[in-house]
Amino acid sequence: MKNRLPSRAGEQIDRSTILSFTWNGKKLEGFAGDTIASALVANGVTVLSRSMKYHRPRGLLTADYWDPNATVQVGDEPNVRAAHRRLEDGMVVSAQNVSPSLRFDVKAANGLVGRFLTAGFYYKTFMKPAALWPRYEKILATFAPGGKVDLNTPHGYHDKRYAHPDVVVAGAGPAGLAAAIAAAADGASVMLVEHEHEVGGHLLWGTDDDRATAAALRAEAEAAGVEILTNSTVTGRYEDNWVAIAQRSHPMAVERLIKARAKMLIVAAGTIERPYVFAGNDLPGVMTSGAVQRLIRMYGVKPGTRAVVLAANDSGAAAVAALDDAGVDVARVIGSGDRAALVKATGSSTRIRKVHMGDGTTENCDLLVTAVGWTAPTSLLNMAGDRPVYDPSAARFFPGTPPDNVLATGGITGDGTRDQLIEHGRATGRLAAGRAAVVCHRLQASTARAASVDGAEPSYPADERAALPRAPHPEMFRAATHGIVDYSEDVSSKDLFGAAAEGFDSVELIKRFTTATMGPSQGKLETVNTVAVLAEARGETIAEVGTTVWRPPYAPITLGALGGRVFEPVRVSAIQPWHEANGVTPILAGQWIRPEHYGDPAEEVRNTRTNVGITDVTPLGKLDLQGPDVPKLLSLLYTNKWMQLPVGGVRYGIMCAEDGVVLDDGVTGHLGDDHYLMTTTSSGAATVWNWIEMWLQTERPEWQVHVTPITTGLASINIAGPNSRALLGRLTDDIDLGPEAFAYMQVRTGTIAGIDDCITWRIGFTGELSYEIHVPSQHGLHVWNQLLEHGVDLGVQPFGLEAQRIMRLEKGHFIVGQDTDGLSKAPTTGMIPLLKLDKDDWAGKPEVAWVLDDDYPVVVAVQPTDPTVVPEEACQILRADTIDIVGRITSSRFSPTLGRSICLAQVSQEFSEPGTELTVLLVNGTRTTARVMEHHAHFDPEGTRLRG
Amino acid sequence: MADLTLTNLTPTPKTTIRAAADTAAAAELGLTFGSSERRDGDLVVRIRPDEWLVIGSTATVDALDLSGFASRIDTTHSRLLFRLTGDLAAKVMEKVCSLDFADHMTPNGACAGASVAKTTCDIVRDDVDRVPSYLVLCDTSFRDYLRGAIEDAMTEFVGA
Repeated sequence: MKNRLPSRAGEQIDRSTILSFTWNGKKLEGFAGDTIASALVANGVTVLSRSMKYHRPRGLLTADYWDPNATVQVGDEPNVRAAHRRLEDGMVVSAQNVSPSLRFDVKAANGLVGRFLTAGFYYKTFMKPAALWPRYEKILATFAPGGKVDLNTPHGYHDKRYAHPDVVVAGAGPAGLAAAIAAAADGASVMLVEHEHEVGGHLLWGTDDDRATAAALRAEAEAAGVEILTNSTVTGRYEDNWVAIAQRSHPMAVERLIKARAKMLIVAAGTIERPYVFAGNDLPGVMTSGAVQRLIRMYGVKPGTRAVVLAANDSGAAAVAALDDAGVDVARVIGSGDRAALVKATGSSTRIRKVHMGDGTTENCDLLVTAVGWTAPTSLLNMAGDRPVYDPSAARFFPGTPPDNVLATGGITGDGTRDQLIEHGRATGRLAAGRAAVVCHRLQASTARAASVDGAEPSYPADERAALPRAPHPEMFRAATHGIVDYSEDVSSKDLFGAAAEGFDSVELIKRFTTATMGPSQGKLETVNTVAVLAEARGETIAEVGTTVWRPPYAPITLGALGGRVFEPVRVSAIQPWHEANGVTPILAGQWIRPEHYGDPAEEVRNTRTNVGITDVTPLGKLDLQGPDVPKLLSLLYTNKWMQLPVGGVRYGIMCAEDGVVLDDGVTGHLGDDHYLMTTTSSGAATVWNWIEMWLQTERPEWQVHVTPITTGLASINIAGPNSRALLGRLTDDIDLGPEAFAYMQVRTGTIAGIDDCITWRIGFTGELSYEIHVPSQHGLHVWNQLLEHGVDLGVQPFGLEAQRIMRLEKGHFIVGQDTDGLSKAPTTGMIPLLKLDKDDWAGKPEVAWVLDDDYPVVVAVQPTDPTVVPEEACQILRADTIDIVGRITSSRFSPTLGRSICLAQVSQEFSEPGTELTVLLVNGTRTTARVMEHHAHFDPEGTRLRG
Repeated sequence: MADLTLTNLTPTPKTTIRAAADTAAAAELGLTFGSSERRDGDLVVRIRPDEWLVIGSTATVDALDLSGFASRIDTTHSRLLFRLTGDLAAKVMEKVCSLDFADHMTPNGACAGASVAKTTCDIVRDDVDRVPSYLVLCDTSFRDYLRGAIEDAMTEFVGA
């Protein structure tokens, strides 16, 4: 560590803990507390990266979170901010986007043709011929910046939490710390967020007294109960102070996204030092004054041996003091605010060698320090609707008028001594706490579950803070030469002049055309210089040019943080343990994990048709309906008639949306006086519940109906097959299962396998004699086991969703969403007798009536001419010898019962007549023929089996 | 410091009562929307303006006058019931639910409907011996998923 300085007070490194790491394969050492970048510079590394477009060598510039030249690959993690990420033992660090190496990067040849690679080069060059774009794209992709993503990298634990602090303070410099302390002292719950690893802001690289003050403020904040989040960033401010915070310091999680609903947001983001634009300003060894102070005072690293300092403000003088302290030879201090004082810097491929002055002199050096002004990072304020205002006397933007629930404090609002900043922070904290108390009172008073509020609402405090002073500052943005404005995007002031000359006269346009300010620092270093250069190019003032609109995120956020913990709810029935223990092949249907089959779905079909099968149909949506007006509701929801359904009766119905499109279907049984049970499709349960509540709450509030979803309150089992009556009869003695006593489409309630209050109805989705039983779910597994146990001699076997789907297709029952789609109106189903236009009203009736007079597509049963061919679902049906699409296959399977392929299809009416020959375009591009059948049912069209 | 525990109380009898404002049942059940109260060992929760949930036994419900526009439905089997207890229970809930669990916003006895780990739940704060405790009710079909999500959220605080 040849550039490591002797130990000094206030440094943040622990010299007793030595960490080993590699840099481009070379073994190096650093100390605990080092950033990757400080450790590299301590080891004499000057070039940390290559620039994006011209692959120019780049060294440390700002030595903090925003440093655009210190993006590296760490192991399998790309795009790591080396000037921010703390060094860890064993880290494997390498330069990214270099070929073949950082030292010899062949893509640096781009610099030789740089004059042709101006802004808009891609747009202009690769627009034509359009046919070649795919080739261009592949080549250009190799020039894309960024590290390498290893797709096999394990997904780390990313966390998420919600928070409701009274006050969020963004930035923990002296003003932010003081604001947090004052707000907490006034009773507010406070979250203090700092994107660096330690609180204190610029005090950390200040005097001994500065550091002592920072430590005292931290202790005071902790004692006040402030929740301090270091290495965390407020990434966005949204409506009603919904504040997103990316926390990188969590002990368990790689990152945690905190969704904070803050009553007040205090923006104490400080200021960011602006780089200076001149020829050679991106040579390694050109740094901001803050960078050298951080390197020396926080990390004990000597940034160079012979320095030139351009000092247009006090920070330049502070840098000179730090350099003197570190034993760096300060060859010259340019203490002028004259932009012509410095012309350019020249050097080698590894660092700066010489500075050329405006007076014609030169100075040899390996370090050029610039202190030319500040940028107020007003992004969070802008996200709240504020527009910054430029003050030429201070040479920077300041906040305008943020909304009442957002306050700014500290350096972002003005200058001042440390004590002035702290006092402004305290006043802001008190103001925030006062306003938060009002918001809190209102929230509590308007929230039903909250505790009663005490007393009257406090008065809303006015903002009576004294503004911080603004120190005069020369407008120093660009020298007389052209240099880099956006280091991340490799955009120069010359590019901006060129774009302005081409007519890109708005800062928003020039941003998009040149990509200036669109890099990883999100404009923090670049925006003001971009604006200033555009103003100069157009002969306007900076105020006239204005700024771009800052949007979230404040700083780039990882996809992992955005994703957080993955919440993907899944549902299982009470019988799921049995399925899992008995070799089920599961299928995810919506949120439900369902049994697809138990090995051989065709055999499951055969057994059900021959003996008896049972299947778990718990996911069927089930709604309990009670009240005297249920028949009216059913009549309104379904297309058919419901006013006369007797107790014990079950009826099938189709529901339409108001546009006549099929919404759902199912059966509803009349259980008792004013009491009904409705079933819906498995995927439609929530939709239908919402649909019913919409009608009851907004259209028919006078109707007395209570609807309660009970889908999984009842485990549902379908018992199907010739032996189903015999099987069920062995488990119940209070339900008469005789065909006359319990006919098709009837419902009974009784005891099954010793379980009371089981609901049983006779329906026939599979086309077999079948009973659907609904059992209180905690007893579902018991009843399932009893059915299997008592039906051994009857040949009982379970069957899964696939067998059920085959059997329903054999029977020709359509499935909503499978054989219909988002445009299928009720007549398409072919269930014309169920569309009762003589009813007063029902949802979708006017549209359906209109469609009936039109040429709507029709669901028909289809059988391929070649019984071995099973067309894929969604295969197109064509007009013979043409490519005119006249329909599509909606369902298809090979029927084990019939020994042939069977389908349902939607076809235009012209092709819906029985016997019509259809041409089906198969997935492999060949065509086959199929015939429209007389009935939807391929099997037992008379229904003798299910009515037996 | 009371350790965190998550208990499955799903078999506990639960009854949902829906009753119009002018019914005897509504008057007898009372409470303000968003609150709950223990009565003879049962927990009576006014979970929605016209809906009460009675957890514990059916005694309270059996005694109700359900005349008028009022209905009763046994939700023992349709609603799973977890109890999360511990001094850090609110911290756990904050990882899966966006409600404000501060004492003044969700005091003991408060209830609300909310999304918990993307499932639709009802939450009742029902402290046990002055230790914060939350009842989480959800469709029973989510039992494995929701238990996993809450246990995962607890991990950070176990042993804290």
